[in-house]
Amino acid sequence: MRNKLLILLSLLVIGTMVLAACGGGQPTAAPAAPAEPAAEEAAPTEAPAAEEAAPTEAPAAEEAAATEAPAADTGVALTIWADEVRAPILEDLGAKFAEQTGVKLVVVQKAIGDIRADFITAAPTGSGPDIILGAHDWIGELNASGLLAPVELGPNAAGFAPNAVQAFTFTDGKIYGMPQATENIALIYNTDLVPTPPTTFDEVKTMSQAIKDAGTKYGFLRQVGDPYHYYPIQTAFGGYIFGQNADGSYNAEDLGLNNEGSVAALTWLDSMYADGLLDRNANITGDLMTSAFQNGDAAMIISGPWAINGIKAAGVPYAVTNIPAGTQPGAPFMGVQGFMLNAFSKNQLLAQTFLQTFVATDETMQAFFDQDPRISAWMPVADKIEDPDLKAFAEAGKVAQPMPNIPAMNSVWGGQGDAITLVETGKLTPQEGADQAQSQVSTAITGQ
Amino acid sequence: MSAATQKVPGGAQAPPGAAPTGILSWILRILALALIDGITIWLVYQMVFDGYVPLAATLALVTIWVNIVFLSGRFYPLRYVAPGLALMVIMVLYPILFTFYVSFTNYGTGHLVTKEVAIEVIESQTYLPADATVYRWTAYKNPAGQYKLWLVNPDDPTEVFTVVPGEEPVAHTGEPPAELDGFTQIPTNQLFGELGALSSLTFGVKPDSAFQVSQTSLGQAARFEQQYVYDPAQDAMIDQQTGEVYYNVNGTFTSESGKTLTPGFAVMTGFQNYVRLFTDPTLSSTFLQVFIWTVVFALMSVFLTFVLGMFLAIVFDVPEMPLRAPLRSLLLIPYTIPAFVAVPVWVGLLNPQFGIISQMIATFTGGWVPAWFTDPIWAKVGILLIQTWLGFPYMFVVVTGALQTLPNDIYEAADLDGANAWAKFRKITLPLLLVTVGPLLVASFAFNFNNFVVISLYNQGGPPMPNTPTPVGYTDILATYTYNIAFGAQGRQDFGYASAITMMIFLILFIITQFQFRYTNMLEERGRNV
Amino acid sequence: MSSKGRFTTSVGSVRRGKRIALILRVLLAIVMLIFALFPVLWIISASFNPTGSLVGQPLIPSNPTLANYERLFNNPVNPYPRWYVNSLFVATTVTIFATAITTLAAYAFSRFNFRSRRPLLQAILLIQVFPNFLNMVAIFLILQQFGRYIPALGLNTYGGLFLVYLGGTLGANTWLTKGYFDSIPRDLDEAATVDGASGWQVFWVVLLPLVRPILVVVALLTFIGTYSEYVLARVLLTDKYMYTLAVGLNQMVSQQFAQSWGVFSAGALLAALPTILIFMFFQRYLVGGLTTGAVKG
Repeated sequence: MRNKLLILLSLLVIGTMVLAACGGGQPTAAPAAPAEPAAEEAAPTEAPAAEEAAPTEAPAAEEAAATEAPAADTGVALTIWADEVRAPILEDLGAKFAEQTGVKLVVVQKAIGDIRADFITAAPTGSGPDIILGAHDWIGELNASGLLAPVELGPNAAGFAPNAVQAFTFTDGKIYGMPQATENIALIYNTDLVPTPPTTFDEVKTMSQAIKDAGTKYGFLRQVGDPYHYYPIQTAFGGYIFGQNADGSYNAEDLGLNNEGSVAALTWLDSMYADGLLDRNANITGDLMTSAFQNGDAAMIISGPWAINGIKAAGVPYAVTNIPAGTQPGAPFMGVQGFMLNAFSKNQLLAQTFLQTFVATDETMQAFFDQDPRISAWMPVADKIEDPDLKAFAEAGKVAQPMPNIPAMNSVWGGQGDAITLVETGKLTPQEGADQAQSQVSTAITGQ
Repeated sequence: MSAATQKVPGGAQAPPGAAPTGILSWILRILALALIDGITIWLVYQMVFDGYVPLAATLALVTIWVNIVFLSGRFYPLRYVAPGLALMVIMVLYPILFTFYVSFTNYGTGHLVTKEVAIEVIESQTYLPADATVYRWTAYKNPAGQYKLWLVNPDDPTEVFTVVPGEEPVAHTGEPPAELDGFTQIPTNQLFGELGALSSLTFGVKPDSAFQVSQTSLGQAARFEQQYVYDPAQDAMIDQQTGEVYYNVNGTFTSESGKTLTPGFAVMTGFQNYVRLFTDPTLSSTFLQVFIWTVVFALMSVFLTFVLGMFLAIVFDVPEMPLRAPLRSLLLIPYTIPAFVAVPVWVGLLNPQFGIISQMIATFTGGWVPAWFTDPIWAKVGILLIQTWLGFPYMFVVVTGALQTLPNDIYEAADLDGANAWAKFRKITLPLLLVTVGPLLVASFAFNFNNFVVISLYNQGGPPMPNTPTPVGYTDILATYTYNIAFGAQGRQDFGYASAITMMIFLILFIITQFQFRYTNMLEERGRNV
Repeated sequence: MSSKGRFTTSVGSVRRGKRIALILRVLLAIVMLIFALFPVLWIISASFNPTGSLVGQPLIPSNPTLANYERLFNNPVNPYPRWYVNSLFVATTVTIFATAITTLAAYAFSRFNFRSRRPLLQAILLIQVFPNFLNMVAIFLILQQFGRYIPALGLNTYGGLFLVYLGGTLGANTWLTKGYFDSIPRDLDEAATVDGASGWQVFWVVLLPLVRPILVVVALLTFIGTYSEYVLARVLLTDKYMYTLAVGLNQMVSQQFAQSWGVFSAGALLAALPTILIFMFFQRYLVGGLTTGAVKG
């Protein structure tokens, strides 16, 4: 036994010495000096290795305009996360970017829901991306943990639609994202079954009755619960989720889930079920709702541009129009997609400059639009939209309200969704439902 | 070193001379160990140096254990278990311990980083003093990799100077030249690659002539000042611009007026999370209901899949059954479809309005359809139906395999005694099967106890319960409830609290499993004596 | 191989009883097949349906098309064929190693008596029982740390993914395999040892061929489990060319409002093929086993 141990020990010593000698035994660098901005305890995964670039031709003097000679690779990379619709666009952009600046754009494709969750996991560890492309209502939660750095819109800031910029403005007055596209829902109706679209929700009801009597399964159809798609109905009757301050920002203390308007909206919805125009036990999901419309089983739905392709494929004659009114025009949520900056990134200036000089341009914004037709947040491109459906959505979106980006908003979905469902399935009256929503959500906001 | 044959009643026996003594096996083992040890030592050294002590310690302990096992003859049997066990300790046990540790902290939204990182990030924030000038810069670099900035005051074009880290600024005049004292102007198409390096430097000399490149606008530089300085004595951040003091309140730097700094950091909170678990009214009011359903759900899932799978395995395992191989393959198919595919399909098929299964039911009942998604009872039935569909092939395959181990002589003896089919099943087949399959049933129970995927795909835990303090549904199980807390459905991610709940779930499962162990252990002894 | 002892009566009009029993068995098989395959029919239907909807559609789509399948293979954004290869690679590798780890451990648990045997067996099962939805963060950190020094084992590597999957190998499958070992009489071991076999040789030469059926079961279950795992893979793999099928398919339906169910169904169907084929192929090992004569003496 002793012999064996001796042999082993000697081998160990030899082995370690060999490994230490060859394999670069220097431990990796200690945490950087305090002056380094946004430094992190662990050394970054992409260290800006400023290798000596090979001498190129005499550089052109313009800033970020096309230069003659392609830049040599500097070994620096910018990482950006985007969903599968926009990742390819960014890859094309990245090729151009690399050519002009020698900096590589690493595009990581993730499902949109995963971008948010994975960013929260990865960013604080230093292994996160430099930029993410996501929705504006994320900034509440992300800012609560200090994960985002403010974005400087740069010299071309005037090109962005003001309400899109407002959506990305946080309660501290700073902007945390560069907008790229906006979206909102509207009323989509079957032009065969609905010759003239309704302008009020009372009309929706009477039309639904007529359509049902004429043999179609549903006039107006909506999915169960889903506060996002329900919001335009709520606002049409004067309800709201958070009250707004004078400057347009949302006040988390002013929760309106059981105010008169909200209760009135729920009452209207409940009456649709009570009158047999909607089925209490049907469990209509968003998918089913769209499917029913495609089959001609429903004449009116509230949905977004994402549903259009499927409707076209089904061959149903359709048109898009504004959300009907109750006591006022129904205002859908406006969602804004944009580029956000990781506060722990080592490439802050590079990322900012990338956004300011490469993304905030007619060329890039047009490329985004061409491949992913959404209403652009860049006004020169948005003004040139010709597609009638998109224009109709934009028209409906004129009264759209940006989804609140305050952290309290995240607490709304659960309670409000349940309340709507309970009213729709007949388990609670509209007033009870509204009260439950109000109490559950305010409990969640104040937290434990 | 040779293990003596041990005859333990009912226990395993070590074959004599089990541990090998050959020289070759010796050499191989020493070499392999030396390699592993060398790598581990190098790895541990690096990790400790960088501050990753817990993982390094775990690695070291595991490696030491592996060495002992492979060198000492006494632990010969453990050599076979070593690979799996080592991996399990590092990749499974360590995360569990991590979860346990987190349950004593407030890790979550607003507290995602360590204190050191938080201080570092906050201290790196700068502000521009009110009267400061913003200069335009042009950058230079010399072959040694050093940088120089040429700064111009846009409001006063005569104020021109260059500055290098660590030296006083030097005045100049005119336009920035292409070459300057061995420094070459960085061309535009290389500039982007240098931005990271440039932004990390402080040019000039503190305190009065220190310039930094702006982090947000290309081409601008100024005498930025550090905004916050950490004072260890007060454990607070002091705003250099306003003098406001932000004290460390449970991981968030908070001022007396209520303002906070981000990022916040995780701190130990002791048993706070556990106390909250027991005293939180929103949790305790519905806890019992959710808990009972969780147990029922797991039990019924195991029971239904096992009974169906076992029944089919036995029924089809006869030689005269035609096409057994294709039959088994086809019956396996539900198991090969992932839950996130299968459940939405089933949800569609069951839909009371549009789903074909409901429509078929309606033709028999004259229009009545179970309210699969809105009635609490039917929702549970629906989920269990899907669970059975998803899981019976697994039991079917496993029992088919286990059936092969049952020796025929016992059955022949039973036949001689005149036993009928049911008696043979109950007294011979079932007990013997349970010996083999018992642990799988335990594992399946645990898997379903935590099976939030199926629950959330079916109806997000719904239908919702009315009149509860927090949103909860009739089909919610403890896991979906925890998942919501951990990953933000309530508006914040509270890993600390969720970890505490996880530990409680584990405790519950542990107790239940202990009971199940008694049962399967008894069977183990019985099986060995047969 | 015959199990005739288990489910039949020993006396009486055997032939007629047998025929009725057989008819009942076949009927049961048909019913079960309908139950098992009915939802699959719908997935098949959705894969030929151009509307991209999963529900609310007739079983035979009104405008059947191959477009979904075409989009699977011609999609510039989602490299489906690549995912296919990745999945096969990952699942096969993990299965081989996991089966080896499981079998080795099961042999020791079955054949040897050592003090930590019982506690270890219990511990293995208990650790598997721990709810693992919060392990994500810890595993992320572990791989991030490993990846700094050994790049092949870091985030977004298959090495790292293997570590995670193999870490979870020991569990119920070990018990299952051990149970199978237990059922093989020890006389075989003793006979071999008398002939001078070492512990390893008893395992490799004598016992391993006999436990083939349970190896097949374990391998199959591991393959299916790894093949359809997406929770861990999704977080650890960031490069879409590294995705497995499970991650890629899941991404297709994770968009907030517009899921491409048609393409997804096509993808899911094709993805299920290897498992079915493997099972069909390895079935005969499943029911080989003890009774093929190895036990006599």
